Amino acid sequence: MNPVKKSPVDEIGKRSYPAFSRLNGEHPFKEQVPQGRVEYKARYKKGGKVSFFNFELAREMGLLAKNHPEKMNPELEREILETFSLVIINEYDVINNIKFPEDEIHPHTYMATRYLQLQHPDKSGRTSGDGRTVWNGTVRHNGLTWDVSSCGTGGTKLSPACNINKKFYQTGDPSISYGCGLSEVSEGLETLFFSEVLGRNGFKTERVLAIVEYDKGLGINIRANPNLMRPSHFFGHLKQNNFQTLKQVTDYYIHRQIENKAWEQTTFKNDKEKYYYLASQVAREFAEVSAKFEDEYIFCWLDWDGDNILMDGGIIDYGSIRQFGLFHAEYRYDDVQRYSTTILEQRQKAKYIVQCFAQIADFLTTGKKKSLSHFRRHQVLEQFDKHFANAKNRNLLQKMGFKKKQQDFLLQTQLPTVTKFRKVYSYFERAKSKRGVYKVADGINRDAIFCMRDIMRELPQIYLSRESLLSPEDFTEIIKSSYAKRTDLKLTVMRKRQVNRFQNLYMSMVKAVTKEYTQSQGQFLLELTMRSSVINRYDRVTGDSITYIVDKVQKLRPKLSHDELYQLAQQFATYQDLDPDQKNVTTIIAPRHKTIMKGFYSIVRDCREGL
Amino acid sequence: MKLVLYSGGDEEDNLQLDRAFIDLLGKKNPVVTFIPSSSYLSEQEFKSFVRHYSKFKITRFIHFPVDVPFDRILFQEVMRSDAIHLAGGNTFYFLNSLRKSKLIKELRTFVQKGGLLTGLSAGAILMTENVEMAANPQFDRDENSVNISNLSALNLVDFAFFPHFKNSARYDTFFKKFTRDTKKVIYACPDGAGLVVSGAELRFVGSCYAFSNGHKFSIN
Repeated sequence: MNPVKKSPVDEIGKRSYPAFSRLNGEHPFKEQVPQGRVEYKARYKKGGKVSFFNFELAREMGLLAKNHPEKMNPELEREILETFSLVIINEYDVINNIKFPEDEIHPHTYMATRYLQLQHPDKSGRTSGDGRTVWNGTVRHNGLTWDVSSCGTGGTKLSPACNINKKFYQTGDPSISYGCGLSEVSEGLETLFFSEVLGRNGFKTERVLAIVEYDKGLGINIRANPNLMRPSHFFGHLKQNNFQTLKQVTDYYIHRQIENKAWEQTTFKNDKEKYYYLASQVAREFAEVSAKFEDEYIFCWLDWDGDNILMDGGIIDYGSIRQFGLFHAEYRYDDVQRYSTTILEQRQKAKYIVQCFAQIADFLTTGKKKSLSHFRRHQVLEQFDKHFANAKNRNLLQKMGFKKKQQDFLLQTQLPTVTKFRKVYSYFERAKSKRGVYKVADGINRDAIFCMRDIMRELPQIYLSRESLLSPEDFTEIIKSSYAKRTDLKLTVMRKRQVNRFQNLYMSMVKAVTKEYTQSQGQFLLELTMRSSVINRYDRVTGDSITYIVDKVQKLRPKLSHDELYQLAQQFATYQDLDPDQKNVTTIIAPRHKTIMKGFYSIVRDCREGL
Repeated sequence: MKLVLYSGGDEEDNLQLDRAFIDLLGKKNPVVTFIPSSSYLSEQEFKSFVRHYSKFKITRFIHFPVDVPFDRILFQEVMRSDAIHLAGGNTFYFLNSLRKSKLIKELRTFVQKGGLLTGLSAGAILMTENVEMAANPQFDRDENSVNISNLSALNLVDFAFFPHFKNSARYDTFFKKFTRDTKKVIYACPDGAGLVVSGAELRFVGSCYAFSNGHKFSIN
């Protein structure tokens, strides 16, 4: 068998999985933004085997038929390997005149895209971008175009190592790590388990389509999303004052958003309206996502380069993503040369990104690039603040268990109460341990001492049972986390007042809703009990728990088939689905998986308050 | 002592037992605690439980998983509730969780103080002396995934209870031999049937079967 599909188009109709043939390196970005990418020839990489394939996602993308069983077969496996098991022929290979058999070389080139990355010395995006990733292409299904890219396909000239050390590296060069162009299966697994959970819980995110495994734990991790563009794809060209390429990137992105019906407005009177609409969309998306990150304790290292996040606020690159169990708002990741931002600083970084898009809109409209500070009071930033405050309020009401229409009602008629409640909620959420800042495994932290999920879960059912408010002592007993020491829990006059304030405001919102919807208080508290028990489940996933689960999966993997890994990832995501409106789930777990899943649950429980 | 032992089945099957449960509650606006056998997706079970018993005008419920740590305040509310329901599931896992959370003694005290305890399937087996009926017969038993060897349970009644009973020769053969060997009495109930204990009185609801000293008796 020829390892490379030389004429994929001709073979459509003969193949069982024709949609895969579109993932052949061809991508509209290549033509539309010529200066936004570097192209590489690629060759078939031998020795790969499929260790994971996401059947559900593949069906959603139209790669598989709707009724395809969730079971691998030899033909599908061959198709996955022929499509994704590849390595680029990079500058090192060319300079050193390394020859590869012609029949192993793919007919099309694959692109690595250019984007701004703060770890590059250049700091303007001239040399940075996909350092070990190429884009496989696009597939369109049910009115949605998907981007597919693969990580671990060889070192490109856009990697930090190439530019810091000013030399090209052979793919797999053991003298460097990140710059060697390879990726590990464990990275794919971490992304898989984390993204499936966050995706189920309303986060926009990249998803893992497949993982191809090689010797020594190496792998190619294939990701998909309806639009894999990041702000950093724009910022490099903005920094370089490259009007033409910036316009091309922007037009390319807008076209995809319209094509995918991701925007409400799809026609524009002129370019000015179009580019400012983009800025306002970014303001809304980044306000909402930074509020959600704060409220769900997601640490996503947002910075001025606009890397680590997609244009619609979707999560990409799970290497630096964490979800904390408590509001550990002072955690900073230690990246050797510097510390990361904290959860609370993410908002300002998100706002900075929005400010850059105001600058981009102006630049593209006037042809003149003004300084960024010129836009520090731009109306899109006001929009950002408005959306952010609204999202924070809504997120809190959602956590309490209110339904969408009840949230709307409270936001329209009881906004001062909601805002006051958010303030007192923050008082507890942000309370810190007297222990102060200390070193943790990968950075520094100061412990949060209260578990807001516990109080939100228990409050309605205790009110229902007692028909009275809690004493400050009882309230503290419920809300205290395992990090809290006796000195942290001292009931000062101020804290007692805040406990009463918390409960009175909570009940005042409950009463307002019961009055509006003519429901008894008991019935409504019962409804809140049922909803908040799902939303604020005792055992919610954290970054640490994902790391330990992936370690466990890695140990089990020699005996796990790709189908089993898929089932485990699905079952884990179902278990972590915190949607109170989800339909009754009946999961039939194979006896062999029960023990594994129990191990996962136990890890999640043990790590539930951690980082 | 007030107990209701449900075998299983759906809401309609258990109408008679539910009526007996409501009669035993004998109180307006009671608080009922739902203890799932495992916290895994138990919120869904709790929802179904609430939906069902809301039909009997019960509006105050507590969801109390015992395989995750709980705080003293919620636990106090549970012990103050009027009824506690032990749900179905894996009997061994459930017993292990109750034991680890030191609830065996607490539940006994709850019953002794007049609280109404109900159990479905695994939950009902737990009310008996031990969970042998979850380990037997070999062709129809729970997996002892937690590997517990001490099978002693709440020991609130002096009989064994076998839920989801199917009236067939292989069950008969097993239970006859078992009762002959152990001298125990087993009440075996198909779905929809069950037992109601009120003080010294034992009432059978639906078609139940008793096995004793190698013999089978049909009740109702």
